[in-house]
Amino acid sequence: MKARANIGVFGAIALSLAVLAGGAPARADSLEYPVKAAFLYKFAPFVEWPATAWGSATSPLTLCVVGDDPFGVLLDRTIQGQHLGAHPIVVHRLDRLAADSGCGIAYVGGSKTQSVAEALDAVQGTPVLTVTDEAEGPAHGIIHFVVRANRVRFVIDDAAAAKNGMTISSKLMRLALSVHLRNGGRL
Amino acid sequence: MAGRTPLWRSWRVIPVVAIGSALTLLLAGVLAGVYGEKLYRAQKVREATVEAQILGATASAAVVFQDQPAAQEYVNALQANPEIEAVGLYDDQGALIAGYNRGGAHLPRILQGRAPPVFEGAHLLVTEPMRQAGNIVGTVRIRSQLEPVSRRFTRYGGAALLIGMAALLLGVLGAAQAALARANRELRHRARALAGANQELQVQIEEREKAEEALRQSQKMEAIGQLTGGVAHDFNNLLMVASSGLDLMDRTDDPKRRQLLKDSIRQAVDRGSALTRQLLAFSRRSALKPEVVDLCKQMEGMRVLLERSLREDIQVEIDCAAGLWPVEIDPHQLELAILNMAVNARDAMPEGGRIVIRGENAADLADGDLSGDFVRLSVADTGAGMAPEMLNRVFEPFFTTKARGQGTGLGLSQVYGFTRASGGDVRIESREGEGTTITLLLPRSERPVTAKPAESDRVEPIQGRGKVLLVEDDDGVAFAVAEMLRELGYQPTRAENAARALKVLERRSFDLVFSDMVMPGEMDGIGLAREINTLKPGLPVVLTTGFSEAAAAAGQEGFRLLVKPYRIEQLAAELQAARNDPRAAGQELPA
Repeated sequence: MKARANIGVFGAIALSLAVLAGGAPARADSLEYPVKAAFLYKFAPFVEWPATAWGSATSPLTLCVVGDDPFGVLLDRTIQGQHLGAHPIVVHRLDRLAADSGCGIAYVGGSKTQSVAEALDAVQGTPVLTVTDEAEGPAHGIIHFVVRANRVRFVIDDAAAAKNGMTISSKLMRLALSVHLRNGGRL
Repeated sequence: MAGRTPLWRSWRVIPVVAIGSALTLLLAGVLAGVYGEKLYRAQKVREATVEAQILGATASAAVVFQDQPAAQEYVNALQANPEIEAVGLYDDQGALIAGYNRGGAHLPRILQGRAPPVFEGAHLLVTEPMRQAGNIVGTVRIRSQLEPVSRRFTRYGGAALLIGMAALLLGVLGAAQAALARANRELRHRARALAGANQELQVQIEEREKAEEALRQSQKMEAIGQLTGGVAHDFNNLLMVASSGLDLMDRTDDPKRRQLLKDSIRQAVDRGSALTRQLLAFSRRSALKPEVVDLCKQMEGMRVLLERSLREDIQVEIDCAAGLWPVEIDPHQLELAILNMAVNARDAMPEGGRIVIRGENAADLADGDLSGDFVRLSVADTGAGMAPEMLNRVFEPFFTTKARGQGTGLGLSQVYGFTRASGGDVRIESREGEGTTITLLLPRSERPVTAKPAESDRVEPIQGRGKVLLVEDDDGVAFAVAEMLRELGYQPTRAENAARALKVLERRSFDLVFSDMVMPGEMDGIGLAREINTLKPGLPVVLTTGFSEAAAAAGQEGFRLLVKPYRIEQLAAELQAARNDPRAAGQELPA
């Protein structure tokens, strides 16, 4: 009882801290997008890009926001100074996603010029971690944000990752609500 | 010895060495303990670090994505390990995501900075970064419990105790060895001292023996002086009587007077003969010739002799109990013994007195080493008596209370020697001023009294006949004996020694051989007798000697023997007996 009570207290404190830090479970209104923004770069350590995806040991990892941008300056602040190993993480905003856009991670919000599905099709087979949002429509990237019980969660399509020549850490998959395995199964 | 000293010294060193070894071992043990402690801590740090790294690696996603339930699941998995008291998972901002806390350990909610492993008493605090693909994504903190120092030291203490006990054992053994070595050394020392003392004692004993030997020699010389003095005095008196008697016999033709003189000469010669017998008895060389005798008759027979030997103011009383048991003794020695006792009694009574000679039976006597039936013969006087300290010495040879020249000191010694040789013992009682009683205890004989013809001066010698070979080396004796033989009717022929005798025997025949025993030449009397037995069995041989040892030898071989000096009657009787003896010269009867 006491342990659970403690965790409850920790949870509450963690929540308030997360609000301050901008990276904690969030209420849909206020915290949903800051959390999503933090998640975007936090996925990086759990993802393995093929060696050919990197120009050099210190070439930047580009985080692209394709189409509508729900994050604004919040994302830039969050990403500011972040690295994946020796690779600095930078933010690019694009209207359309193409295979040669140079994105390592692509948040596909969809736009009038290119739908989410179209954008996903455009980078299929290239080493891009595609991230989609339930709020933007049903089309799934490799990672698909959903909000359950007021928490930002995600589902993973490992089969799609495989198509793009990428590997998702099992640790990450364990946190997913569901996983579409590359062998066709589901978790 | 010098080589052994370092040995016991080395034993002495052992306890020190043992204690030194123990201290060294203890020091080594402490160092080993410290080293072990260090190793233990290092290992614990390694274990906790690895634990934190594993937790960090597995729980990194849950921390990164703030998935508190998932993170808590990872953390809870560690609760199975009782050593891990507390675990905290912190995100990259230092905020606690999940954790547990056991036993009141402190788990901060916000972690500030990173720290190397820290020991807090019996606890280890490890703070390990959580990495993912080269990025530090959070922090793991583990607080684990160490085995209490006291328990570890108890373990070391056990080892130390064992080492200490071993050292103690070694020390005790060493000490025991040292003590043993010390005891051995002491023992050796004492043995040496004892050997020294023994040697000294040996030297003293030798010196004492030398001194005693010298003393004995001087005593012997003094005794011989006394003896020769006494004997010479007695013999001179006897010779004086004989000499003067012979002189006077030449000057008178009166038969009565000549008879008196002859009697006195005979008496002197008898006394001389008795004196030599006494000397031989004392030296225990005289062969006893025991006969079964009736003491009463023997004592009665001595009455005249005693009255002649003693003074007129001495009254002699002979009291002989009726039915007195016979005893087996040498009658001549008995006479001598009674005479000796009587003379002593006389000398103890210078003012005159009474001597009582008493014979009585003592049945079932048990006195000292004597047991059985005895005859008690006592001679009591009413004289001066003796002091107790003298009583112990009266039987010693040459001990005398008389003035020089008046006694030889052999009298009671003869009495003692004779009685002991006869299987009896002597008792003496004396009170100063009241008199002395000497008692002979003689064993009773079961045999009847030997019949013996009464000896008398007037008995005519038995006349014989026949040729006698007389073997005698001494011319004087040979002349006298030859005269006696002629007087008895024999025809003597003299030979000077055994060889000559055998030659004469080859040429002529004899009826009897009468030979001296101790003669010069290769063959003595016994040898001659044996030779004659072989050559001429049936020829009687009679041996004669004054030497008691030779007499004993002859007696053992069964030869006839006549002891010197002898009187003509004895010679006649012996020769007659030999001629009538069916045995030939002592040989066994033919079957």
